[in-house]
Amino acid sequence: MADMAVESTGLQAAAGPYDRAKALSAFKFGDAAFYWTTRACAISVLLILGGIIISLIVGAWPAMREFGISFLTTARWAPANDPPVLGALGPIYGTLVTSVIAMVIAIPVGLGIAIFLTELCPVWLRRPIGLAIELLAGIPSIIYGMWGFFVLGPFLAYHFQPAMIAIFDGVPVLGSIFAGPPSYLSLFNASLILAIMVLPFITAISVDVFKTVPPVLKEAAYGVGCTTWEVVRSVVIPYTRVGVIGGVMLALGRALGETMAVTFIIGNSFRISGSIFAPGTTISAAIASEFAESDGLHQSGLILLGLLLFILTFFVLAAARLLLMRLEMKAGK
Amino acid sequence: MTEISIATSVPSGPGPLIGSQPDGPPKVVVRDLNFYYGQNHALKHINLSLAANRVTAFIGPSGCGKSTLLRIFNRMYDLYPGQRAEGQVMLDGHNILDPKLDLNLLRARVGMVFQKPTPFPMTIYENIAFGIRLYEKISKSEMDGRVEKALRGAALWNEVKDKLNASGLSLSGGQQQRLCIARTIAVRPEVILFDEPCSALDPISTAKIEELIDELKEDYTIAIVTHNMQQAARVSESTAFMYLGELIEFGPTNKIFTSPNDRRTQDYITGRFG
Repeated sequence: MADMAVESTGLQAAAGPYDRAKALSAFKFGDAAFYWTTRACAISVLLILGGIIISLIVGAWPAMREFGISFLTTARWAPANDPPVLGALGPIYGTLVTSVIAMVIAIPVGLGIAIFLTELCPVWLRRPIGLAIELLAGIPSIIYGMWGFFVLGPFLAYHFQPAMIAIFDGVPVLGSIFAGPPSYLSLFNASLILAIMVLPFITAISVDVFKTVPPVLKEAAYGVGCTTWEVVRSVVIPYTRVGVIGGVMLALGRALGETMAVTFIIGNSFRISGSIFAPGTTISAAIASEFAESDGLHQSGLILLGLLLFILTFFVLAAARLLLMRLEMKAGK
Repeated sequence: MTEISIATSVPSGPGPLIGSQPDGPPKVVVRDLNFYYGQNHALKHINLSLAANRVTAFIGPSGCGKSTLLRIFNRMYDLYPGQRAEGQVMLDGHNILDPKLDLNLLRARVGMVFQKPTPFPMTIYENIAFGIRLYEKISKSEMDGRVEKALRGAALWNEVKDKLNASGLSLSGGQQQRLCIARTIAVRPEVILFDEPCSALDPISTAKIEELIDELKEDYTIAIVTHNMQQAARVSESTAFMYLGELIEFGPTNKIFTSPNDRRTQDYITGRFG
């Protein structure tokens, strides 16, 4: 037995160098294949991105040549005219206004939920609320659109807006913001739906980053006598600022680009009215509602709108990156 | 802060090994204290007292409950559901286990320094001013004075006076720990709890902290948990030896380390287990 063992190890050692080189060369091929496969996957992202940008520019070129910079400053959208008049100011305005209102609502609520879940919530309530947030994120956007149309719209038109008008009538700026005839379809309705849709993003990311705060750091803050509010404000939020802003920017990106639900409830009107209860449109809603019946210059104008949205989102993300970099430099990291 | 040598930290002040006074008026009295992590009975019928302006050390093998006991003195366990204490812990005659007690006020009176340095994510100045601002509204110049006093009290002033606006995280480990001590004394507590304050520090930083503890007991009542028996012998007047959630022996430090009553204490301090 012992002899055999010795013999076999002797044999292996003798055959070793040859076998090992062969085995290694097989690995080498596998390694190279693996390297090139993963590399191709990574490069394909760049190709796809570049392809999209190029096709957007090519498609938008006729409209760009026709309207030039006035595309950005004209508030009129009349594709049926001869020659057609296309101006993107209405959709741009609608996109920005709905996104800003949505973020103003969703950021405090989302952070509030996250703080409650991580710092204050009794254990038995934690799972149900967490689950509800996840479900909220999973609802298809068309469902939000229908709910906004059939439930939220009537409520806003017949109860909320009259109350606002009653309160702010005659007040210089606020009065005109809430003015106008009741309408199911409005910028504000779309903003609320957007706020509900982006809420789970903000909450989920905030909860995740809040959990990264070392317990001992929170204990130290409690240890000098902080209340939960003071711990959150002075330790948890500063410690997690970068992550929270990342979550907010992701949500903003979603709000800027969200199409289906908004198309349902915003009214698709290209006119800019000062009231947030008036119908309006966003870039993505305008494209979605008109693209199927468009051709020629009209279609090119819609593609140009898409290019604008692309650029807008790009700048939002770039601004977010810059902000994070400056914050990190200030924090001395 | 002048030159530090490790040797000076032992005999300076009332040397604990040469007949110091472990008694004094009790600041904190613990009576029949039991503590539970859920179903787990972690502390069993603890009775002891912390003498005012003295250092009481808690020693014992890992998991014996010494940190748990320390975290009862400022009700830190309250942050976590399922943890509860029964019995009495009297601070100046008032039971701090009373559920109606204002925890923020308690924690202002009973400060804590943790095992790992825990500077807040803000500047050195703000790390100190933050705690003060929770309780007092004072002017900028007064605040400057308080911050300087706290940093001097923690023997850190000379090292950071030129960079008060730098992040607290930019300091070395030993400096961070002294910053945490400064932060703790800035709110003028009565009792300071040290939970293995030197376990993450190098020997020189450790010597500085030990010397600091010796100075701090003039103004504060101090409880320190440590794994380092030499440290317990150096800094404390009284020592409590704990084992498996029970207080095995509690008495003057020099007695515990020279002629303990209990066999298990003897075994632990001579390194036979733990």
